[in-house]
Amino acid sequence: MTTVLRRSAGTVAVVLAGWALFVGIAGPAIASHVEATVTSVGEVSVGETVAIPLALHSRDGTPLAGTVVTFYLHMAFAGVEGEAEIGRVMTDESGVASLTYRPRLAGHHELRIEYLAAGATEAESTSTVIEVTGGAQLYRSPAGVDVPGVGVELLMVVLAVVWTILFWVVLRIVAIARAGREADAAGPGTRP
Amino acid sequence: MAVDGASRGGRDVAALNAWQERLEETALEPVRRTGRRFWAVVAILLAIIGWGIYAYSIQLRDGLVVTGMRDRISWGLYIATFVFFIGISHAGTLISAILRVSHARWRTPVTRMAEFVTVVALICGASFVIIDLGRPDRLLNVFIYGRWQSPIIWDVLAITTYLTASVTYLFVPMIPDLALFRDRLAGRGSRWRGWLYQTLAIGWNGNPAQWRSLASAIGVLMILIIPIAVSVHTVVSFIFAMTMRVPWDSALFGAFFVAGAIFSGIAILIIVMAILRRAYHLEEYVTEKHFVYLGYLMAAFAAIMIYANISELLVHGYKLQEGVEFHFRQLFLAEFAPLFWFYLLGGLCGPIVIALVPATRNVRGIVAAAILVTLAMWIERYFIVVTGLRVPLMPYEPASYAPTWVEWSLLAAGLAAFALLIALFTKLFPIIAVWEVAESREAAVTDAGATRPIGEGPTLAEGASR
Repeated sequence: MTTVLRRSAGTVAVVLAGWALFVGIAGPAIASHVEATVTSVGEVSVGETVAIPLALHSRDGTPLAGTVVTFYLHMAFAGVEGEAEIGRVMTDESGVASLTYRPRLAGHHELRIEYLAAGATEAESTSTVIEVTGGAQLYRSPAGVDVPGVGVELLMVVLAVVWTILFWVVLRIVAIARAGREADAAGPGTRP
Repeated sequence: MAVDGASRGGRDVAALNAWQERLEETALEPVRRTGRRFWAVVAILLAIIGWGIYAYSIQLRDGLVVTGMRDRISWGLYIATFVFFIGISHAGTLISAILRVSHARWRTPVTRMAEFVTVVALICGASFVIIDLGRPDRLLNVFIYGRWQSPIIWDVLAITTYLTASVTYLFVPMIPDLALFRDRLAGRGSRWRGWLYQTLAIGWNGNPAQWRSLASAIGVLMILIIPIAVSVHTVVSFIFAMTMRVPWDSALFGAFFVAGAIFSGIAILIIVMAILRRAYHLEEYVTEKHFVYLGYLMAAFAAIMIYANISELLVHGYKLQEGVEFHFRQLFLAEFAPLFWFYLLGGLCGPIVIALVPATRNVRGIVAAAILVTLAMWIERYFIVVTGLRVPLMPYEPASYAPTWVEWSLLAAGLAAFALLIALFTKLFPIIAVWEVAESREAAVTDAGATRPIGEGPTLAEGASR
């Protein structure tokens, strides 16, 4: 019984391994008749404008013109990760879709490029990486108009004046209490 | 002739002394006697507050998801009520400070109530900000991570300063009356009350040095508190106007909010006056004249609000920038139209008509107008907050917001807390500014005496004690 079970398991394992090998080798060929080639951009600086070209050809080398290609950037912000669409370009007659991209943050930028070739039923994608160097971040608030004397210091001065006046009122209250004590010490007070 | 004049003067003094005695008794009455009806009201208010505490415990346990607020409409009933309460806190400033500065004598019987309303409304309003935070411990973030450039920090600073100034402004003119309570209730009330009045009266015995200090303190405070109050509601408006939302994109918002705040403050004061007048039999001091005068003020501010609304809506509507069309449709024609038209016609036009028509220019009419204004101004605050956030920033379907039972419960609890604090104040402190009313009466009698032939009667300064 144990031998039968062991042989059955072995047979199943061999079949599954064979199927996996078949899918691994022949799968892409079955799934796609499109060859996508991304030209590596390599290293760029923050703020530098670069072109990210993607060439789409059929297996026989014919350029795939008129295919819409969507570029996504993998992002992480405030603990949330996801993809943001950064552009959509149509391939020209030579099958190339080139996105003009201007990275605004330094770091490792992962891009996923998605396309749906003519005749295909499901979108396919490829990916590329851009290393962006430089310390400057382009997301900056406008500096604004610096009016001399108008700023946090003015707020502080106004607050200080108001609270000083309030403190002066407290001193008046203390003066009332002191005058009462002095009158009591001098003799029975007279209510007006 | 001289004998006749002297005897008439003696009668005047006796009459005034009797009047003063009656005034003091009226002020002391709420503290001396508490009927079952009062305790019944307190029990009902406590029950509502208890229900609100239960609702708040649900919110604390489950988070803000129990409210109708979500990512796109992230402010709702709580912030609208916060703005409303901060608005009605302007009652004290207007009645007490502005009328004091302008030497309007008729104000004296109602100043104390107005100052109560200010302090209580500020406490209740500030509570709604903490409720809106979801987790109250996050209030510390304002102090830990706050930036001077943020309108929220300006708001915290302005409200804190206003609360401090309002409490001081309530306390300082009350010192002589607290001394009156200390003297008249000595040995007749509970020990803690005796201690309270003894402490708060700070040794007042009415000597000239104390009167001088009191006068200078009141003189400075009444001027100082006006710009502080104006700054508070201006800064509250900045929280909206400095946010990138089309309906809030207005430079008029500060003035609009301040006018609305004083408008709703007068309305609430009229309602509080009517309730306290009836509950504590203040008809002799809070007369129809006070209601009519406040009604005129309310009508004047209604006119200012109409002007501000026309200016705001016409400018926005004429340019009709992206999003404004949607905003106008939701206000005038769609979801919010019935209540918005009620605000415009019932809350702004109605009070003017009531104050101008002689048949309705009486206590009942003015109180009815005040109730209309209070409802309308709460609706206006709600619309400013919710409809502003409802306008889509991108071409997607507009979000919807409906307050849940938790939010309605906390709103009810907030209003109940407001009423309860006012009720408790009346049981502890003089609800009428006794010395100011007496001084005002004295001045009125002195003015009347000045028109008499010389020797016909003494002035109060000669014959009457304060």
